[in-house]
Amino acid sequence: MLNIGEKLFKWIIKLLTFLSILLLAFIVIFIFNESFVFFKEVPIWKFIMGRSWNPLGPAENLSIFPIILGTIYVSIVGICISLPLGVGIAVILSTYTKDRVKSFIRGIIDVLAGIPSVVYGFIGLLVVVKFFEVRFSFAAGESVLAGGIVLSVMVLPFIVSTCAESMDKIYEEYSQASQALGVSKSYMIRNIILPASKRSIIASLVLALGRGMGETMATMMVIGNAPIMPKLFGKTQTIPSLIALEMGMAEVGSLHYHGLFAAGFVLMIMLLLVNVLIYFIKAKMDI
Amino acid sequence: MNVLEIKNLSVSYGDKLVIKDLSMDIKKNKITAVIGPSGCGKSTLLTTINLLLEENGGQFTGQILFNGKDILSYEKKDVRRMIGMVFQKPTPFPFSVYKNLTYAPKYYGIRDKKKLKDIVENTLKRVGLYEELKDELNRSATKLSGGQQQRLCIGRALTVEPEILLLDEPCSALDIKNTANIERLLKELSKDYTIVIVTHNLSQAKRISDYTAFILDGKLIEYDETKKIFSNPKDRRTKEYVEGIFG
Amino acid sequence: MLERIKDYLFKTWLIMSALIVVLVVVFLFGYIFINGIGSIDKEFLLSEPKGIPIGIEGGIFPAIIGSLLLMLIACVFSSILAISTAIYVVFYCKSERIKSFIHLIIQCMSGVPSIVLGLFGYALLVLYLGFGRSLLSGGITLGIFIFPFIQIRVEKTLKEVDKSIITSSYALGVSEVYTLFKIILPICRADIISAITLAGGFAMGAASPIILTAAVMFAPVPESLFSPVMALPFHLYILTGEGISLEKAYGTALVLMLLLLVINIISIILNIKRKESR
Repeated sequence: MLNIGEKLFKWIIKLLTFLSILLLAFIVIFIFNESFVFFKEVPIWKFIMGRSWNPLGPAENLSIFPIILGTIYVSIVGICISLPLGVGIAVILSTYTKDRVKSFIRGIIDVLAGIPSVVYGFIGLLVVVKFFEVRFSFAAGESVLAGGIVLSVMVLPFIVSTCAESMDKIYEEYSQASQALGVSKSYMIRNIILPASKRSIIASLVLALGRGMGETMATMMVIGNAPIMPKLFGKTQTIPSLIALEMGMAEVGSLHYHGLFAAGFVLMIMLLLVNVLIYFIKAKMDI
Repeated sequence: MNVLEIKNLSVSYGDKLVIKDLSMDIKKNKITAVIGPSGCGKSTLLTTINLLLEENGGQFTGQILFNGKDILSYEKKDVRRMIGMVFQKPTPFPFSVYKNLTYAPKYYGIRDKKKLKDIVENTLKRVGLYEELKDELNRSATKLSGGQQQRLCIGRALTVEPEILLLDEPCSALDIKNTANIERLLKELSKDYTIVIVTHNLSQAKRISDYTAFILDGKLIEYDETKKIFSNPKDRRTKEYVEGIFG
Repeated sequence: MLERIKDYLFKTWLIMSALIVVLVVVFLFGYIFINGIGSIDKEFLLSEPKGIPIGIEGGIFPAIIGSLLLMLIACVFSSILAISTAIYVVFYCKSERIKSFIHLIIQCMSGVPSIVLGLFGYALLVLYLGFGRSLLSGGITLGIFIFPFIQIRVEKTLKEVDKSIITSSYALGVSEVYTLFKIILPICRADIISAITLAGGFAMGAASPIILTAAVMFAPVPESLFSPVMALPFHLYILTGEGISLEKAYGTALVLMLLLLVINIISIILNIKRKESR
């Protein structure tokens, strides 16, 4: 009697696990399916490299090169702002604080991660964009820079937690030996911990890049949604924003509709590659 | 009377051979000590006997007879019920003393509240914890002292009424007073149970065991009455070990 | 001498980082709170949006309910799958290769951008399966969104259970499943609930998975799994993007953040309770 119950449970667990794993396959397949209709009209090469996005025109005019650039550019700006801050906080967390203060700071950083992206977009619009308009008299504050600033706050927790985790271990391993030599803490951090953390800093960069590229709401509200070649102070468009914005307007089954799926497909592939990269960097790190 | 007969046992984890062609018989209601330097396969011997070996990733060849029958012909859970095991580090389950002791009986289907209470009381009395804990049955077992926890674990193993009790260095995490308590307990228990104890404490083996087996590098070097092993060992290596030349 | 300069620059960097981050966090909360507190009153919390254009008056009650229901469905859906997968990987899977494969898949799933999940939900649930824009479609899509988060945490918790306790249970002849339910899961319960709660918070705040699958500008409190719903993050976006009411937008943002705060506090309380029982 007990045996049948055991076997049944094991079987259910295996089934549910299998279904979970299948989800990813389903996602890829469905997105590809809907994109394929588009790729029959316009080869993927042209789609990625072309420069104009005009949903009202013929199929050849649906291409996303500037949008791909915009997606990457905004993320990179975000990372450039966030990286020094994030690594700094990670250093403080792993070497200058302990126990309760440490938990408190980690808690604050985790709270940042929990704030919904719409709220970031909302504040970004009302504060950052407005700031550019008022202070620097931009005609419109929506820009790559605005997007980058908003993203930098959003990816900060990822950078901090990835770096702090490995810095903790490194600090534990080397601090005693270093202190025994009588060198200052700051010297030890600059010469041992930071160089040894290079790998995890890179991992956190890639993680942040992936996060930034996939972000929809926050960027959508502050970048101006213009599918043109991106400039730091100019408007731009990212793939997620494109999809979120135009999907409502696209008629089901139209070329526009399938074109948006195609854009989503390209984004998904880009991020899948980033995440496979993350997986391998992490795997090498644990060794 | 031999309750366990081990014939030509070889145990390996993957490619690594840990026990080599070992044969010995365990006598009923006696205390058998297994001694030898660290890593020579003593613990593995125990986990092979109660068939925990497979869960730990190992395999064995050879035969083990339990009361005359091949041990593999029994169901795994029956083997474990009849051959209990206590580990080096006390492992109380994170619930009350009462629940720790009723955990296994409940699994085997005993529901009657009176019966369960009797089991708890009798077990505590057997391991000498009754006076100390009789008013604190609901106390979390993790809050007990090390010695109490280990005695609880021994008691827990007894709740399923085994024939043999295997103990893997049960006192190595305890102080002298608690060690003495447990040694006394084991001598008491040996009237009703067969006891096999792995230990690196030679004086402990001398104190409580009737038979002693010396294992080196996975091989059984010598196995005899304890008196003889310690006063007049036949093998030179046994002599060197019990005199403390190598540990 | 050079060392002194380097040391000084280094410490300045650290202090500036800390200051900037603290300022940003304080600013974020303060800004929403100060601007939003004025809009919150009983009417705002308990009544439906009204006026022309809709939302300019009235309240956000259906959005609050919608968000809570979406979160509930997402949590149920994802925790069943995530806990099962975690149990499989830690206790039943014997092959290292399969384990690595599963970990890779989950890493990739966590990398699928939320808008693409929305597209998937739209294609599969709304159109192909015909659920339409509904609580069910949105809930499942959100469930997929938070699945990796829960799975990774539950797996970590299960792995951390003291192996010797598990072995002790097996040594008594007790079966794997009984050990799982009577010993392992009770030990992990608080952590698992904490993970699900946190994930629920993420689900509640996410707008992109539900833009295409569930959320509409106006809907009453949903009557069935197949009704479309309003949701707080989406409502915030509409109020802002369509320029309907800045005041109500602040209020919506504040309500959303407060709900999330409550969820996080529950999760922290559970964590503290666990630490005490150790």
